[in-house]
Amino acid sequence: MQADRWDPALDRGLQSGLVAFRWIAGGWMVAILLVDREALGRPVLATALVAAAMAVTVGYSVALWRDPDRTLRPAEVVGEVVVGATLSLADGAVWDADHSQSLGSAWPLAGVLSMGIVAGAVPGVAAGAVIGLARLGSQVIDSSVDWGEDELVSAASTLMLYVLAGGIAGYAATRLRKADRRLSLATARDEVAVDLHDGVLQTLAVVQRRSDDPELVALARNQERRLRDYLFGATDRRSLETALRDEAATFEQVHHVRTNVVLGGDLPALGDEPTEALVGAVQEALANAGKHAGASSVTIYAEPADDDGVFCTVKDDGRGFDPTTVTEGVGLGRSIRDRIERVGGTASWRSAPGGGTEVRLEVPA
Amino acid sequence: MSRLQPVRVVVADDHPIWRSGIRADLGENFHVIGDAGDAPETIALVEKLKPDLVLCDLQMPNGGGLAVVKACAEQVPVVILTVSEAERDLLDTVAAGAMGYLLKSSAPDELRSALWKAAQGEPVFSPSLAGLVLREFRRMTERSGPTEALSEREREVTQHVARGHTYKEIGEELHISPKTVENHVRNILGKLRLNRRQELIRYAVDHGLD
Repeated sequence: MQADRWDPALDRGLQSGLVAFRWIAGGWMVAILLVDREALGRPVLATALVAAAMAVTVGYSVALWRDPDRTLRPAEVVGEVVVGATLSLADGAVWDADHSQSLGSAWPLAGVLSMGIVAGAVPGVAAGAVIGLARLGSQVIDSSVDWGEDELVSAASTLMLYVLAGGIAGYAATRLRKADRRLSLATARDEVAVDLHDGVLQTLAVVQRRSDDPELVALARNQERRLRDYLFGATDRRSLETALRDEAATFEQVHHVRTNVVLGGDLPALGDEPTEALVGAVQEALANAGKHAGASSVTIYAEPADDDGVFCTVKDDGRGFDPTTVTEGVGLGRSIRDRIERVGGTASWRSAPGGGTEVRLEVPA
Repeated sequence: MSRLQPVRVVVADDHPIWRSGIRADLGENFHVIGDAGDAPETIALVEKLKPDLVLCDLQMPNGGGLAVVKACAEQVPVVILTVSEAERDLLDTVAAGAMGYLLKSSAPDELRSALWKAAQGEPVFSPSLAGLVLREFRRMTERSGPTEALSEREREVTQHVARGHTYKEIGEELHISPKTVENHVRNILGKLRLNRRQELIRYAVDHGLD
């Protein structure tokens, strides 16, 4: 047995359940003792046995109250089973008139269940058999019982019930503990994983800052982004935010330009068409920055706009261009503007030689 | 550059690989005079060495960056380094008085120029931080209204920083001087601090804490 290695919460729960069961069964037993007092042939013996059972019940309750994490000891459970068996057996000797109930039918079940929980299915079955046989014995010595087929079947089915209860309690407790242990192992693994990830993030950051190889830097940055999304991000694959981050990551990998996505608020859920138009326009703006700007960094910014729309900018720190003289501005503007105006939005841009380029987009919901 | 001596830096990080990496990367304008692996160690070191700048990891044992900022931000500029801007404590450290934060994956030249500015007492108001600030003020407005709301101009400046504009570009766009932009930035971060503090007090009163 490795009871001390299990998570105490599970056993604590099982034990409290058993204590409650003992009190209910014990109360029932005391009630019968009082109600059927007249039918008792040996009231002293009956009272002594009930008192012993109640002493066990009180003992367990006090022990659990003092130390909730205390596990049952097999010796204690054996003692409880002995008390239960004696109670069951004596049931045949304490009555001398017809009586409607028996003293020890429910309470000894607690011992059977305890044995199953503490020691497993086989000892549980054994404890069940002991109590069941004691019950059978009580009927043999009870002079008021006429032995017939019915009584035999009844005694056999009671025996089966106790045996089954012990076996099932043992089986269920063992399975529960296994599941519990798997769960705590998984939790422990998660904790280790967070620690590991932190180390990996640090390493990737060092790689990015210390390597002169742009491809290695881009790879490290991309891996870092993916790990970070996994660790910290609630990623709904279809959301605008995710789409923008994906565009940024792809762009960064292709052009080796550092690209940040900054949000100025929680973005509303746009429809499919505006989302597509906006993401497409951002793509175009990025492509332009990659081809012509010679930028070292790009910032994609988005915030909620009026009426559940979205305002979005793509800004690079490249060489920029003079919009009045350079034709590439015209082409860029037309394809972006087409996409955005089709969904009822507006697009503009601002660029100055040496001052980078910023494309501004606004789409309605 | 107004400073002739190299900036004396204390580096705090629980990962030795990072500490040794940063020493090599800071270049000749910075001089790492000490490093530490957790918050109490860092605070003691700052007390002893009186550096010009503290570079501090957000996540460290025994309190992390927030504890360092709370203890040291009045004496020395503290810049927080983090692997993720998604972390909850980030805004708290800025509100507690950090000069700003930088992602650990920032390019070395970006890191150096930001740290140089921070050492002169100029906040590192990166686009990501500006985004966080905008979100924070939006959140406060939705809830109970900030004690000190951003003026329209301040909101505009914050948004431009978040969009990736330099102070010079913002100045040109808004027809104000870069120096004025810088003053706005100081006020914006001051309001963030004030509101955060007020919110903490309000929370404590509502929940019966001292």
